[in-house]
Amino acid sequence: MDQSLTKNEFIGHEEHAPAAKRSWLFSRPDHKTGIVSWLTTVDHKRIGFLYGISALFFFLVGGAEALMIRLQLAVPNNDFISAQTYNEMFTMHATTMIFLAVMPLSAAFFNYIMPLQIGARDVAFPRLNGFAYWLFLAGAIVLNIGFFVKSGLPDMGWFGYAPLTSTAFSSEFAGDMSTDMWVMGLQILGVSSVIGSLNFIVTIINMRAPGLTMMRLPVFTWMTLFTAFLIILSFPAITIALVEVMMDRNFGTLFFEVSGGGLPILWQHLFWVFGHPEVYILILPAMGIISEILPCFSRKPLFGYPIVVFSGAVIGLLGFGVWSHHMFTTGMGTVATAAFTVATMAIAVPTGVKIFNWIGTLWNGHLSMRTPMMFALGFVWMFMMGGFSGIMHAAAPADAQQQDSYFVVAHFHYVLIGGSIFALLAGIHYWFPLMFGRKVSEFWGKLSFWVIFAGFNITFFPLHFVGLNGMPRRNFTYDGNMGWNSINMIATIGAFILGIGIAVYFVVMIYTYFKGEKTKRDPWDGRTLEWSIPNPPPHHNFDVTPNVHARDAYWYEKHHKAEIEAEKAKLAAEDEAHGGIHMPSNSWFPVITASGMLIGSIFFCNHNFLGAIGGLVIVFFGAWMWSVEGPGGYHLHPTKEGSDDADAQH
Amino acid sequence: MLLVALIPVVCGGWLSGPQSTFDTKGPVAETQLDVFYVTLWVTVAIFAVVGSVLAYATIKFKARNEADEHAEPPPQGHGNPLIELSLIVVSILALVIIAVPTLKAIWYTYEVPEELMEDTYEVTAIGHQWWFKFQYEDEMVPQPFGGEAPLVTANELVIPAGRPVKVNLRTVDVIHSFWVPKLAGKVDMMPNRGNHLWMLADEPGYFWGQCAEYCGESHAVMRFRVIALAKDEFNAWLENQKSPARTVAASADAQITTAFADYGAFAVNQPGWTPEFDADPLGSWNALQAPNADEDPALIAAGRQAFIENRCAGCHTVRGHDGIGNIGPDLTRIGSRSTIAAGLLENTPKNLYRWITEPDRVKPGNFMAHTRIVAPPGMITMPGYTMRDPATGDRNPTDGDIEITPEEGHALVAYLHSLK
Repeated sequence: MDQSLTKNEFIGHEEHAPAAKRSWLFSRPDHKTGIVSWLTTVDHKRIGFLYGISALFFFLVGGAEALMIRLQLAVPNNDFISAQTYNEMFTMHATTMIFLAVMPLSAAFFNYIMPLQIGARDVAFPRLNGFAYWLFLAGAIVLNIGFFVKSGLPDMGWFGYAPLTSTAFSSEFAGDMSTDMWVMGLQILGVSSVIGSLNFIVTIINMRAPGLTMMRLPVFTWMTLFTAFLIILSFPAITIALVEVMMDRNFGTLFFEVSGGGLPILWQHLFWVFGHPEVYILILPAMGIISEILPCFSRKPLFGYPIVVFSGAVIGLLGFGVWSHHMFTTGMGTVATAAFTVATMAIAVPTGVKIFNWIGTLWNGHLSMRTPMMFALGFVWMFMMGGFSGIMHAAAPADAQQQDSYFVVAHFHYVLIGGSIFALLAGIHYWFPLMFGRKVSEFWGKLSFWVIFAGFNITFFPLHFVGLNGMPRRNFTYDGNMGWNSINMIATIGAFILGIGIAVYFVVMIYTYFKGEKTKRDPWDGRTLEWSIPNPPPHHNFDVTPNVHARDAYWYEKHHKAEIEAEKAKLAAEDEAHGGIHMPSNSWFPVITASGMLIGSIFFCNHNFLGAIGGLVIVFFGAWMWSVEGPGGYHLHPTKEGSDDADAQH
Repeated sequence: MLLVALIPVVCGGWLSGPQSTFDTKGPVAETQLDVFYVTLWVTVAIFAVVGSVLAYATIKFKARNEADEHAEPPPQGHGNPLIELSLIVVSILALVIIAVPTLKAIWYTYEVPEELMEDTYEVTAIGHQWWFKFQYEDEMVPQPFGGEAPLVTANELVIPAGRPVKVNLRTVDVIHSFWVPKLAGKVDMMPNRGNHLWMLADEPGYFWGQCAEYCGESHAVMRFRVIALAKDEFNAWLENQKSPARTVAASADAQITTAFADYGAFAVNQPGWTPEFDADPLGSWNALQAPNADEDPALIAAGRQAFIENRCAGCHTVRGHDGIGNIGPDLTRIGSRSTIAAGLLENTPKNLYRWITEPDRVKPGNFMAHTRIVAPPGMITMPGYTMRDPATGDRNPTDGDIEITPEEGHALVAYLHSLK
């Protein structure tokens, strides 16, 4: 390659001739510490951390809501909370856990881990990345405002079936805005997810280290890519549906308005065209994490890597063709029901393939039973159970009895807690040493695993039976003569055991963050690139952009030390010749633009359209300033002797 | 561990409640259960095999100690395409085993089979927030202002046993779902869409059902019953239903002789059922068809008066007596129903008194009375049924307060219970 050309085209090359001083409004902040540094951050690791902390906070909120539900159902005819409060609790429990806990926790790993796995120094669009996070926070706030205002929380279920969302059926009093907050909150979260996903797709396609071909990508990165595609393809469907509800509620359109000939079934189709891929949006990242942890702790490569990757793609693809299995009871007729039954069963094949490959990975390995491995194995078991009950209601006639009963509740908690949450908890354990340079105590880690595992099964296994015994979901009370009493009591006790397990997990994590045992680089004998860097990772991630020679890139590096060292020295020299490592400056405008969305949507919920326009003005101001603020950026020279401070340039 | 978990299931009666999907009483539910069993046995078999391999691998290949963990890594094998392919084929075969009976059952459960079509009895179930109206399309009854309309009842669907019943499913407001687990799986009542299901009760019986699609605040207490009767009994029941309301004659100077029971305060979500009823539900239902022994004609007359004065007739109909309202359930034969408040409470004087005097606490958000207002002593206040503001759709009590004295409450109970 023509070296001189590369050199001259390099962004910010004019480091020795500083640009003319720009006015403060157009220059970019570069705080390294303090609150401003967090508000303006564009560092993927910091954004990942923010996602993680917010997601874990909302995970606790959602968990508290779940405990309220379980307390109410502990005994028949209970009056612990009112019908209204109960309905708000189950609506927000689901909405919170899906949109504010599992999705952002996955996003946290996408942000933090994925760029490290592909040997990148950041995502493709760092400011957009920050914007996605601040939008997520704005959406989360809008969804939860109901805790503090008279309208209360949304109460029409996380699926928001029309016409329950119409003004006629959702307003307890004049000006009840709980449903509006749900509609606006989800729209903002949708924007956030789509922006984040586009960013990940561009990053994975374009910013892989040299030699990191697609078929060498770590499986977690693959799953990030699939998830991102699922998000950008499925969120438009719910966005359309939400906009239509918003129009119905505010401007008198008749999309779902029954009295005007609107079709509530339309909502269900739009919602589940989003909602079913959403299920895979929640589980594919988890499968990615498991596909990292099992090989690492078995000390051998993933069994059947191409098939695992391919089955992930097939799951994602088929996931768009099965949405109506959520609607078997809506009277679709025989042909549609049969088609969706068969398509749904077909998904079991690629899912089963993954399980076989994980077992194949364990086979002949040296399994070291550390806490992440415990959670990962727990995942495989629990996900298998959830998969089997999934096959049961793929069969439409059986589903006619199971739909909207506690059997379904048991099923999807097996795939969402036993699946997604177990994997995410495993991921936190697994990458904690990398993120914070400290390691969780094995005793406390395993203890929390066993308590969570026991509590989870005690809660949800019996619920299969109460569902088949005819107990419907979303019931704030039940009678004592239905044969449901003992199971509900057991489930409530189990839920509290699960709660204690989660509490132990969190306390241990917080303790470890401050006081945990310090750990060396690469504590688990990792296989992928993120383990090749010091912990916690430096701002610029890689001193030298790695050159990838094999699928498990770092494993290869560790077993070909001499060759890699020579190569690294050469690459470092090249980097220096380019003027060092270019890093982006911070920016205020992601957070400002997102705050405009927050303000605007709150006013909109209150039917204060002037205020809503005000919010939009902030959004446009932020976006405009975003595009005209200085290019920013500075250079680091980590490999130059004794100098890792930056040449600033704004 | 799984086997241990199954002990309470079998011994503790975890699967034998009134809404059990295992205790099927008709061919539709039975077909659905058969499909479930196919899925169950196939998945249990797969679980047994895959689970054993997973357990074996976990135990066999576990590192025994620290030294073992730091030993030379195992061979870095990448997989085996032949194993992969054969596993895929086996999984597909397992799914075919499930798919065949499933597809057959989809067609069978959707429509009454050809050979039974002749014998099918048709009714329409209409979901309301939060109760069910049942309309017998073929049984026309004269209406107060002339003309005829189908016979309607509420919350208790009486069907002939041994005959297929096609239930047309409609709704007047949001989505509801019609579910009688022992007879048939659920089908939703969708606005602007004509759904249906069919079911067949092999024997006469009394079945529990419930709305199975979240439909708003009181979804949990939107329940109903299905009563299947032998042919003759069903016809007799129909004849009785079609005649106008029963009137208990009272002489003009009759005095109220009944002493009022003091029911005390009612708790929120207080149970409304008794084990005596559950012991023989069909027998208990039959017993309710005959007039009460201790009727007090004067009290009943006072109740009828209160029914008019308190605007009950605005929403309810007692065909042959008063009222042309159809917002609320038809009350022409309410005394003969075994439950009130949409299958929530057994139809006893105490429960009916509770339902009339504090409907909002029995069924939160219902339209008979939206919010409770603290009443002056000696007075029970109902703030009036709710009307929707046509402009904003808001639920507002618009019609002024309805005030009922305890005496009126007792009289209403006596009157309604005389309507057999």
